[in-house]
Amino acid sequence: MRARDLAEEYPLVQLTDDALTAARLIAEQRRPGVVVVDADGKPVTVLPGSQVLRFIIPGYVQEDPSLARVYDERSGAETCVRKLEGRTVKELLPPKEKRYELPKVSGDATVIECAAMMARLRSPLLLVSDNDTIHGVVTTSHLLEVILSATGQAT
Amino acid sequence: MSATQILSVLVFVGAYVLIATERVHRVAAALGGAALMLALRLTDGETAFHSLDAGVDWNVVFLLLGMMIIVGVIKQTGLFEYLAIAAAKRARGKPFAVLVTFVVITATASAALDNVTTVLLIAPVTFLVCDRLGLNPIPFLIAEVLASNIGGTATLIGDPPNIIIASRGGLSFNDFLVHLAPFIVVLMVAFVVVCRWLFRDAFHYDEERVAEVMALSEREAIRDKRLLWQSLGVLALVLTGFVLHGVVDVEPSVVALLGAGLLVLISEVTTEEALADVEWETLVFFMGLFVMVGALVKTGVIDAVSAALAGAVGGDPLLAVMALLAGSAVLSAVVDNIPYVATMSPIVAELVAAQGNTPQSDSLWWSLALGADLGGNATAVGASANVVVLGLAARNGTPISFWQFTRYGVVVAGLSILLAAPYLWLRYFVLA
Repeated sequence: MRARDLAEEYPLVQLTDDALTAARLIAEQRRPGVVVVDADGKPVTVLPGSQVLRFIIPGYVQEDPSLARVYDERSGAETCVRKLEGRTVKELLPPKEKRYELPKVSGDATVIECAAMMARLRSPLLLVSDNDTIHGVVTTSHLLEVILSATGQAT
Repeated sequence: MSATQILSVLVFVGAYVLIATERVHRVAAALGGAALMLALRLTDGETAFHSLDAGVDWNVVFLLLGMMIIVGVIKQTGLFEYLAIAAAKRARGKPFAVLVTFVVITATASAALDNVTTVLLIAPVTFLVCDRLGLNPIPFLIAEVLASNIGGTATLIGDPPNIIIASRGGLSFNDFLVHLAPFIVVLMVAFVVVCRWLFRDAFHYDEERVAEVMALSEREAIRDKRLLWQSLGVLALVLTGFVLHGVVDVEPSVVALLGAGLLVLISEVTTEEALADVEWETLVFFMGLFVMVGALVKTGVIDAVSAALAGAVGGDPLLAVMALLAGSAVLSAVVDNIPYVATMSPIVAELVAAQGNTPQSDSLWWSLALGADLGGNATAVGASANVVVLGLAARNGTPISFWQFTRYGVVVAGLSILLAAPYLWLRYFVLA
């Protein structure tokens, strides 16, 4: 099996899109993240759900587990949503020099090649494309399913 | 001056310049200077490691180590978060009342823990409470770090310079409580009043945002109640040990080490967790400094400087006390007060001995402590806690510039010294 056979259709967001929309896309479709493209539709990077969390949870709370516990659920959630309002996807991303390398393989890549790329970049998503043609995205769950079923381990 | 004296001064000044300008890491500068002193035979291994007057002061090193371990464990309990949020709720989110409770908590904690740890613990809660109240956290952070340096002055363990002064001057924990703590209480009252004026633009009250603070659950901050009680129990024992160390004839360093050992033994904290907050760099920095200063003692430089200073003040103890207070404050504002006090302690010891150990001459120690500890508030680089808070603020998107800090710091340091001078004069010269 090759990467193009594994690739699924996947939602793309633009750098200028509303941050709240991107968060909703991840939340409502239970996605591990979304692929970010520029104005020409060229993939730029992956926005994992964990990066959205890093943006909405203040650094001082991330570093202090005791402080994270004092929020009540409702007002804590309101604070988080407030941080996304009026922001763009670009603002959610880390600065350019710290941005995640785009996890990308060609359509010919093997299953293990895909797995190796995702493992190296610790990415939950892998873009499959040849030149300007995007075939789709491979997710960790789909890839693991394929690997397990190859050995008869899938349930 | 002899050749060895000139050589030791050159090495010392070179290392000091590197520490002050931060051209190399301060640990590298102190260790490099110490190594050079040993290599040039300006001191020797026996003196550096075993001499009480001219070697590494192991009491200081192990007292710091013991307290760092205890603080590292207390940090994990969530006690600070609990206290600060409960205080903010008790103040019903009123900005000035919140600031007052935060600075009082910080100053009190700084008297029992070290200043850097205290500001590291209070800063995250400050960000949270200010965020909820829609307030700028900068005035709160600046007030807290200033309070931390003031509060730390009150006790032997509150600020590293005090630990050095206590060891070199043979002063007990109770000596600090009797001679410095009462003045620090008065200074804190004055500081709170000044804060009302200094940060007058920061106290915007928004009734709707107060509900967001009242909704916080401080009880949830305590993650391990058993560890909390164990830590508080051991801290109480250690503080009692400090108070009684003269009676039971046990060094403060031994008390701290016993406390640290007991806490690690009875709690379920792993050794790695207990040692995670030990600032090994600071301990090594101290060792390097002691070897360098020890070389100055051994080569007779300290004797010569002390004699020159004694001559300059012409045997007038009041002049010596005031000059030391002002000089220490000015120097500590621009250079780290730890190397400054490490250098000045043997000089002050000689001046005190030369004046016959009277109450007036003993007040030189308090003059050094007040000048060095409180002078550190004047600029953003005057004390380690100031530097740490500036770093935290920048990381959380609310940077504090050098001058922004210094604008407030100079006022508070100036006020502190202006109050310290009449205190020293009245207590040790008029009422003695």
